Amino acid sequence: MHNRKCIALTGATGFLGSHLLASLLLKEYSVIILGRSTKDETLHERISKLLGWFGIENRLNQITCVEVDLSKENLGIENEEYKALCSAVCSVIHCASDTSFSESKREKVMAANIGNLKSILEFTKNAKADIFHYISTTYTAGTGVTFCREIPSTAKTFTNVYEESKADAEKIIAGFCDKNSIRLSIIRPSIVYGDSVSGRSLKFNALYFPVKSFKSIRDIYLNDLINNGGEKSSKHGIYIDKDGYLVLPLKIYLPHAGIINLIPVEYFVKATLNIIENCPQGGIFHLTSKSPAQLETVLKYCEDLLKMKGIKAVYDNLNTAPILNPAEELFARYIEPYKPYLSDIRIFERKNTDHITDDLQPPEFTYDIFKRCMNYAIDAEWGLNLFSKSNKEKAMSIS
Amino acid sequence: MKDILKTAKNCRHFAMCKIDYLGTGICTSGLEKHYVSYYPQGRMDLYAALAENKILVTDKCIEIADTCDLCGKCDYQCYFTTEMKPTKVMKALKEHVDSYVKNGGKVHKSVEDDILAELRKIVGDFWATNDRAIALTYSNDLCPLGSPKMPDYVIMPNTREEIAAIIKLLNEHKIHYAIRGNGTASIGVTITEGAVIDLNRMKTIEFDEKNWYVKVGPGVSAFELQKEAKKRGYRVNIAEPEAMICGNIMCSGIFSTFSATYGTAADNYINAEFVSNDGEFFSLNDIDAPNLFSFNYAVTPKPGICTSVNIKLHQMTDDETGVLVPFEKLDCALDFAKDCAIRHIGIAIGVLGNEYISTFMSPTIKLAKDVKEVFSDKLGINFLVLVIGDKYAMNAIKEMGVPIIDQKIFRTLALSLPSLKSAQWLDILKEASEDDSFSYLKLSQFNELAETALAPSAKQLAKEVDPELRPFFEKLYQKPEMTDLVWLNMFRIVSPRMGREKNIFPLIVYLPIDNDLINEINIGFKSIAEKYNLKNDYGFITPLDNGKRCIFEYDYFFDQTDPEELSRIQQSAQELFGFIEAISARTGTVKWIRYFFNQGFSRKENFLYS
Repeated sequence: MHNRKCIALTGATGFLGSHLLASLLLKEYSVIILGRSTKDETLHERISKLLGWFGIENRLNQITCVEVDLSKENLGIENEEYKALCSAVCSVIHCASDTSFSESKREKVMAANIGNLKSILEFTKNAKADIFHYISTTYTAGTGVTFCREIPSTAKTFTNVYEESKADAEKIIAGFCDKNSIRLSIIRPSIVYGDSVSGRSLKFNALYFPVKSFKSIRDIYLNDLINNGGEKSSKHGIYIDKDGYLVLPLKIYLPHAGIINLIPVEYFVKATLNIIENCPQGGIFHLTSKSPAQLETVLKYCEDLLKMKGIKAVYDNLNTAPILNPAEELFARYIEPYKPYLSDIRIFERKNTDHITDDLQPPEFTYDIFKRCMNYAIDAEWGLNLFSKSNKEKAMSIS
Repeated sequence: MKDILKTAKNCRHFAMCKIDYLGTGICTSGLEKHYVSYYPQGRMDLYAALAENKILVTDKCIEIADTCDLCGKCDYQCYFTTEMKPTKVMKALKEHVDSYVKNGGKVHKSVEDDILAELRKIVGDFWATNDRAIALTYSNDLCPLGSPKMPDYVIMPNTREEIAAIIKLLNEHKIHYAIRGNGTASIGVTITEGAVIDLNRMKTIEFDEKNWYVKVGPGVSAFELQKEAKKRGYRVNIAEPEAMICGNIMCSGIFSTFSATYGTAADNYINAEFVSNDGEFFSLNDIDAPNLFSFNYAVTPKPGICTSVNIKLHQMTDDETGVLVPFEKLDCALDFAKDCAIRHIGIAIGVLGNEYISTFMSPTIKLAKDVKEVFSDKLGINFLVLVIGDKYAMNAIKEMGVPIIDQKIFRTLALSLPSLKSAQWLDILKEASEDDSFSYLKLSQFNELAETALAPSAKQLAKEVDPELRPFFEKLYQKPEMTDLVWLNMFRIVSPRMGREKNIFPLIVYLPIDNDLINEINIGFKSIAEKYNLKNDYGFITPLDNGKRCIFEYDYFFDQTDPEELSRIQQSAQELFGFIEAISARTGTVKWIRYFFNQGFSRKENFLYS
């Protein structure tokens, strides 16, 4: 007998999955978490820690942790347990994903994002689940398009292996669900950052990474100027101005101007829950911003936050390699994987999403939101200090 | 006093106080008297024995204490290697003996017996003794698998003729003898209850540049020889700096990272002279000399005493430099090292573990631990392939497209190790290089950035050491050779730091560069160590014979003052021996060092391929 509100969730220890999990629990769902232990922690310990971070440890009774191996048949668990699991689940949210952009990790990314589908899809079928929700990305649209519709991707070229694997996965999932009469929703968020209200986040990649890089480079030169006489800095025209700003010429060379489509995680969660609860028939949904940020705006935010001057986007087809100073060379290396997203010109249809979510929109990406999120990241040492007491206390006050 | 005794009992017997490797000069009394007893090492042992009432005060004991002028050189030398300061022990020894004498304690005089009298006729009165204070300093080589043996006599001959006469005399009286270079083999072969023949006085170094060799006596250490060779623009293939060349060849053959091209065992020498076990002379070029080029994979008796060896000289070029190529996984590091060896790229090649590099580079145990963590956790560097070569070799490596820590970056890192742990910009280097591991090293201005961020200086590094010694170490680390990969690999003065935290028990095998086999042995060594709760780590691998074979060192560590830990390492040894023997029998290509003792003069082909 299916419990209407019993959902199986993969990827619950990841960024999107964990935020989704917290909200599902607050909405009284029972969640069966299909996941893995790490070398140091069991799945249950990992989830307990996350619930602590969200300040909802009291919701532990709503979850069941099942240690699975998605690369194996029957989720890699014993028959009896598998059968029991099938009988308990009414829908599946597949959020687990390898988000690496690295071509050198192609095999691993493909194994996680494609190879692992079979087991979870078979499980969905065997469980006679009502619906399969797949958390994908808007960037399955691929390169060379400017308007991306809420339809199956037909793209042939992609920015990286992650996008490619997600597009392939969508096709495989759609085919399987169609064949087995399983309803399917494909949820495609754009670039997700932390909670716009609290600034909190569990992961600090994507938007955070360039900011972290700017900060690292800033700190190198500040340290040189303040503690080591600044000889190296002055060689490259780097100094602290009268307002206390670090003047650091740092040009970012890009082929053309672009926009960055950012949404906060709380929007992702609200919109996804809306889709789960209001769209039993499924569909494809873009969770994007209608007013994406200009790169220049984000760079200005960075300068203001970090008390820096001199960060500049330079648009050039780069027929000749520019001469970079050491900071520019390092930054260029840091942001290499993210570079295509800095000169992105794609805009995303969101007709389905607007309809289902009753025109729920993400907030405009303001400096206040940026500052809140980045200050949280800095306080949390970009994740190193995430589960500290002070962070937990913040969670308690928020929840 | 407890602290002083602890220092004394922790002397590693590395004999680093017997070579002038820091330019401080050597203990004056040691240079004059030659017995190890008159060096800081001997005084450490002597003090420990006196403090624990294991030995009586003898007249030599008083002389040993008196001849220490508390100059403090040994603090610099010993601290560099082991982080210990022996001067406080030297002082305590002097005070102990002084107080004993002042309080009317009886000073025991050794009585000359007939054998000693005969020995003294051969070498002179001072150079043969049965004094218990001197004997004590020759009684322990810290082999974790054996126990100390107090010799009846210690003899210091100066010529091969004297050695021959000594051997005949000892044979006549059926007195067992052990030959000692600097006593650092730590396998129980330099100790005996009979007579120890210490060859330290035989320090001949004669260059024959026309014939590309240098003839060295058995009292010449690797450091001393390399120093003389380098002055003339040559290099010799040596092992640990304090090891005596002749003894080192006899024990195991000489291997180093330069063995990748210079070879090992018989590759290193042209001829050698011996005094046979019967006290007769022979040299390897004699037509009827014993065949020491052969190799028998079994425990083999010593062929005699090596009294000189003609070591090959290798030409150096002025464009030699070194690089370290980082790797996350051993397999990839092995593949690269093998590739270099097959293609004849580089003169010296070694696949070094993180433990080695961090320990070698760091002046203290604490810093070494931090550095190891930074390398592994922040930078993802678990292995580094060292390549020393000329500009053509370096160009070839660049063409191979691997990221490199070149000489400049190495110097920057070496002089800014204390800053590494707090350098937050390093955190994202690994993340930023996900697509192409360590690609940050390919940034043309990486060194400039690293210098800006880390502010490398000798002062920064010296801040890590004991405040009293900082001025000295600051000057020392300013010397270019202290951060020069070529010099450091030629002279190997940082290698003994491996035994700084705990004493070292190296496991050495020759085998093909077969990744699966190496991994199997690596895992086997590790699991046995863990079973017995012993600190352990991968050491290094150096390709041999153009990459067809390699030498692999894995290290176990033990606290030499902890009987319980010694007992555990003894138990582990039984299991280790079985493990290696089984692999050796199964593969037919894995040979372990146990059987090399006394066979280090053999042709490498006879043990690598038979």
